[in-house]
Amino acid sequence: MLRYQNLIEALEAAPGDRRFITFWVDEDEQESVTFAEFRRRARIQALVLREQGAICGDRIVIIMPQGIPAMTVFAGAMMLGAVPAFLAYPNEKVEASKYRSGLVGVTANLGAKLVVIDQEFPEEMLGCVSLTAEARLVRAGKSGASNETCSPDIKYQSNHIAFIQHSAGTTGLQKGVALTHAAVLRQLQHLAGALQITSDDRVYSWLPLYHDMGLIACFILPMVCHVPVVMQSPTEWVMQPETMLEVISEHKCTLAWLPNFAFQFIPRRTRPNRCTRYDLSPLRALVNCSEPVRASSMQEFRDTFAVCGLRSDAPQSSYAMAENVFAVTQSDITSASGPSRIWADGGRFRNSHQIERVPQETPGAVSFTSSGRLLPNQQIRITSDSGSDLFNGAVGEILVKSDCLFDGYYNRPDLTAKAIVDGWYHTGDLGFFLDCELYVVARKRDLIIIGGENLYPQDIEEIVGNHPAIHDGRVIALGLYNPDLGTEGILVVAEVDREELLANTEQIERDIRAQVAAGLGVTVGTVLLKPPKWIVKSTAGKAARSTTLEKLKKENPELEIDS
Amino acid sequence: MTPEEKQRMIDFILKRIRKPNLTIDENTPLVSSGLVDSMALGDLLLELEDVTHLRIPPGKVRPKDLDTVALMFATAARVGKPPR
Repeated sequence: MLRYQNLIEALEAAPGDRRFITFWVDEDEQESVTFAEFRRRARIQALVLREQGAICGDRIVIIMPQGIPAMTVFAGAMMLGAVPAFLAYPNEKVEASKYRSGLVGVTANLGAKLVVIDQEFPEEMLGCVSLTAEARLVRAGKSGASNETCSPDIKYQSNHIAFIQHSAGTTGLQKGVALTHAAVLRQLQHLAGALQITSDDRVYSWLPLYHDMGLIACFILPMVCHVPVVMQSPTEWVMQPETMLEVISEHKCTLAWLPNFAFQFIPRRTRPNRCTRYDLSPLRALVNCSEPVRASSMQEFRDTFAVCGLRSDAPQSSYAMAENVFAVTQSDITSASGPSRIWADGGRFRNSHQIERVPQETPGAVSFTSSGRLLPNQQIRITSDSGSDLFNGAVGEILVKSDCLFDGYYNRPDLTAKAIVDGWYHTGDLGFFLDCELYVVARKRDLIIIGGENLYPQDIEEIVGNHPAIHDGRVIALGLYNPDLGTEGILVVAEVDREELLANTEQIERDIRAQVAAGLGVTVGTVLLKPPKWIVKSTAGKAARSTTLEKLKKENPELEIDS
Repeated sequence: MTPEEKQRMIDFILKRIRKPNLTIDENTPLVSSGLVDSMALGDLLLELEDVTHLRIPPGKVRPKDLDTVALMFATAARVGKPPR
């Protein structure tokens, strides 16, 4: 694929009669387009965008439900040489004012010219869409029988920005990662090689297009490698996760990516008596990505669906990030036993941040699952807090350098300067390198990872701190691993303003849950209300997170906080 | 929705969300209030299928259709199909 100058050239080279996207709604409703039909629809969208004044280099924000229309707008924008970016669609849980201010922040930072919404964008949600003075709101074009289309401009160079994908953070704080066509094509070359992708492959996805797994692995990779992809909406999948098995069986999908939590979530929400109805034997790689990989989750998936013909080597792993287009590592898909797994002395790991391998049956042993080996032209370093290199299983921050690494956060030189130092991207993840394989342990920056989505604790703390019964600034939010869900849950510790307010904890807790749900679209698992002066403060006047956690461990041992 | 079906659904939801001293009725907002998150909706749908003896096809239900127990039963009646 390095023969292509850009992604649109790769799309234009696809066999027209080959099926590209199938959007699966339910057993009675599916829509498929060939590569030729997708190109035709994308050209219609390109024409609509051009008529709205979009030209090469303009940033275009797309807020549309997951589906073929959103993808054709994205490709249509690239056909003009414009730079598209997907943003999450508003839902009924999100408070309109929060979404609106976040959107203003993103469009302002991108200097977006157009914000594209779908024809059916709910009237009651229009209040969520607020723009900067420079940006205009447009409806995506209808892709019916129109013959009027726009010829793609594919003459732009490979160092032209292809699109912007966003990294972690709430809408207003998201960091835009601008990626060139060349960087994306190099990443796809490496990834397709590691996964040994052929024209016989078929990708399955429910992953959102505003996330790198959904965008790169499940849209751009199939587009460039000319393989079909079968998609569901993430909001529909999450309500009936078993449908993933139905789609994979029906369409004989061979490749899929999932965050770790889904490896537990799906088996636990599939009726055992229905398992025999599904055939997962075509699936040759189901890649665990975007959260630290847990062997127990993968084993549960493997054990539950062996009866469906799932190959024991199908579950695989990868370490990926938007800043590197996508993958840095990939496990060896030819290994019959799947990703490597090791056991280490638990005490040495927790206290000395050092991996000392021990037999599996050793009391207190902790297990880690590899995220695989480096893809070609990727380098990593493991460094201590002081910046010195660590070797031989020492745990430290993972730094990445590669031929597909981003140049910086869009219009954010301040964040870029912190993130990229001497060409090395500081991931903020903790991990270790052993026998040429990378093991990712946790997030360094206290990110809370829920279902593969990253949340900054300060976003939650700000909302909780605004409650009139809570003393502002005396709130700590953290992720607590929930073994039932296979992902983290949110724990909030907050001081009430006055001791007598502790008589009314139920109402305060309800308010906090509702406000966090409205502001961030997530649910708080546990709220612990504490009396005034309970949270330990640092000398700088901020909540001292680690010291407060130690106190919490002593007072609430049932929470099993292990950090 | 019989009183027994309604109570079975309420009991299941209370057990699922594990909030001590919480009380809900058939009109208590669950999704929009943040009491139930999207990842719990799958459990609720499975239970709803068991209670109503109907199969609820994917793609026909939005989170807002499950915001209250009353809406859950109305949704099942609207889109439910006989089990396969």
